[in-house]
Amino acid sequence: MNNLHGILFAYRTNPELKDLTLHRTLASLPFGGRYRVIDFILSSLVNAGVTDVGVIMHESYQSLLNHLGSGKDFDLARRNGGLRLLPPFAYAKNDRRSTSTVYHGTMDALAGVYSYLQEIRQDYVILADAHTIINLDVQAVLDAHISSGADITAVATSTPHSVPRDSTYFLTDETGRASEVLVGPAAPAGLEILNIYIMSKELLLKLTEYSASRDVVSLSAGILRPQVKELKIIPFVYDSVAFRIQTVQGYYDINRQLLDPKVRAQIFEPSRPIRTKERNDAATYYASTSKIYNSLVADGCVIEGTVENSIIFHNVRIGKGAVVKDCVIMQSSTIEANAQLSCIIADKNVVVTSGTRLTGKENCPFVVEKGSRV
Amino acid sequence: MKKQCVAMLLAGGQGSRLYALTSKVAKPAVPFGGKYRIIDFPLSNCVNSGIDTVGVLTQYRPLELNSYLGNGQPWDLDCFDGGVHILPPYVIQNDVGSWYKGTANAIYQNMGFIDLYDPDYVLILSGDHIYKMDYNAMLQHHKKVGAACTISVLEVTMEEATRFGIMNVDENDTIYEFEEKPKHPKSNLASMGVYIFNWKDLKHYLTVDEADPNSSNDFGKNIIPLMLAEGKKLSAYRFKGYWKDVGTIASLWDANMEMLNLNGGIDPYDDSWPIYSRKPIKPPHIIRENAKLSHSMITGGCDVDGLVENSILFSNVTVETGAQVKYSIIMPGAVIRAGAVVEYAIVAEDAEIGCGAHVGTSPTGEEGWNIAVVASDVGVVPGSTVAAGAMCTEPMKGGAAE
Repeated sequence: MNNLHGILFAYRTNPELKDLTLHRTLASLPFGGRYRVIDFILSSLVNAGVTDVGVIMHESYQSLLNHLGSGKDFDLARRNGGLRLLPPFAYAKNDRRSTSTVYHGTMDALAGVYSYLQEIRQDYVILADAHTIINLDVQAVLDAHISSGADITAVATSTPHSVPRDSTYFLTDETGRASEVLVGPAAPAGLEILNIYIMSKELLLKLTEYSASRDVVSLSAGILRPQVKELKIIPFVYDSVAFRIQTVQGYYDINRQLLDPKVRAQIFEPSRPIRTKERNDAATYYASTSKIYNSLVADGCVIEGTVENSIIFHNVRIGKGAVVKDCVIMQSSTIEANAQLSCIIADKNVVVTSGTRLTGKENCPFVVEKGSRV
Repeated sequence: MKKQCVAMLLAGGQGSRLYALTSKVAKPAVPFGGKYRIIDFPLSNCVNSGIDTVGVLTQYRPLELNSYLGNGQPWDLDCFDGGVHILPPYVIQNDVGSWYKGTANAIYQNMGFIDLYDPDYVLILSGDHIYKMDYNAMLQHHKKVGAACTISVLEVTMEEATRFGIMNVDENDTIYEFEEKPKHPKSNLASMGVYIFNWKDLKHYLTVDEADPNSSNDFGKNIIPLMLAEGKKLSAYRFKGYWKDVGTIASLWDANMEMLNLNGGIDPYDDSWPIYSRKPIKPPHIIRENAKLSHSMITGGCDVDGLVENSILFSNVTVETGAQVKYSIIMPGAVIRAGAVVEYAIVAEDAEIGCGAHVGTSPTGEEGWNIAVVASDVGVVPGSTVAAGAMCTEPMKGGAAE
């Protein structure tokens, strides 16, 4: 049991993800063979004993709702608290801008669910993007937050790897406190923020009220940067594996990072299991004609062909003589006999008919849209 | 609330013919087919047949089975009204009470549970068979013919008939005689251990049977003959499809191998009759650079860098570089160390086969050859040999530490 409430931001999309987020929000993008992107941070919260989690969403959230359901698979279907799904219930009415498509930033999203924030039962709140691939020891971050006496603790990495213009960086003073905040610089500098913050409920409400009345939409540019002197902001340096999915290339690379045993060991740390929607798949069958090399394969597949350096999601069929190299094949897709795929991302329910040849490049993977037949 | 039909699943048997595999768990909790335990089959059949109230009678080594069943959520049996109920033997005032003396006595002791639902029919199941069956179709048959009891039967060869309880029937499939393992069978209809009774009738005969001090309180031996003797109508319901008793090491191994023949045994990919199970939270399995796979099933959490042929790996099994697994069943959490060879064997949960050890052999055709078994948590010493047909139940001297 702890005194921490979770809020996940699942409204964000990124145009750079193109067809992958055509029908779904980034948070519900399939990832890693059997997961959706949100599973990683959500599991991190649950594994730290967090029992109340709000998920803020704005558009294309049907697949996310379907994935999370009642929260049962995350042990979040509870008599009190549990999972709170927060679609934009009060947004249109209070719209202050001409475009009302999506929240303009973290503070804008928080203002949109203000009445929910007031009901939070815990003293501390963790705010996080739903699309960070991480297996974070959240309890350690909370302990650090309490012992340092910080107003805001921000999880940050000293080995930046994201697109800088979409990221925020901290420069720190000799005591480790943030002295300067750089939002979207041209080049990385200092510590890169992973958009995971802990603060008190009290401060969260205060900042949300402040933002709403001043039209501040962004946490990093609107609060952290101007108030870096007033607020005691302390980074929690986290140098284990963490990925943020921002582009199609990034999605492809990060999936294939899971083929690295060191990355798998950190992301799938056995004491903090990554939960996901419970499925009822059988075991995966490998026929005598199959040849498998260095691949991550989920349950329920029937594999008769060749698979190399690929991520194969559940219920995929790979026919005799088919060759799948350096690919990410999402659930329920079928690669028919003698098809040849290399550097392909096949979305859900794709059928690649027999004999078809599809070729992408490792630095430019080709996406086959959900449900298509090629 | 009243239910039309309540299922009672007999899960208290020791499963002594599975030897080492049931030294720590009851037979219904023995893992099967990569993702399942034996009890998942009757439980899933119930749910798929529209039966939502199941009593599970446990007695022998119930801990793992109890925690596996939990609140019944994986089978959608966590409902407000009905659901899955674990029913161990119990005592009443003045310490009166006893272990379940037999299958019929187990139901007798739980008549109060069944009465809570005031059912018209009671379905009796056992926890040691692998099959997919629509019990509702059987119930419709039972109602249509107006029987007091309907027994599901399977057509076997006359040769096999000597190993089963055999129902002798007239032209309407009404049973006139029951013979247990007859030397000279008159029919080839083998009982599958699946019964539907009118609850009123069953209650009467359970009470009569309980009053007989010479009875062994068993459905096959006592209740069925008693009802036949009293002229009650008993009907045979012919089941078509795959059915396998997995009460012995050899039959358990066979049934797993048959599952690998996607069209021969249970089809695990058939969504029209899903088999549900409680699954551990595990990532997808990883097949590394040196792995070679052929005609095998592999599940979540496995890490394979060796050879796997004609085998089933349950969750979280590790097969290290250069290890070979052939014609074997490797249960959850087991580790096959580098260079070890496992063939024609069943390796139980969390066992560890040390580097270079050799477990089992290919069939030699000699008398006494059999499947080798390594019991759960046992460590087989690196470089040592476990003979064909051996039961490895004690951590071997030196253990995995060597």
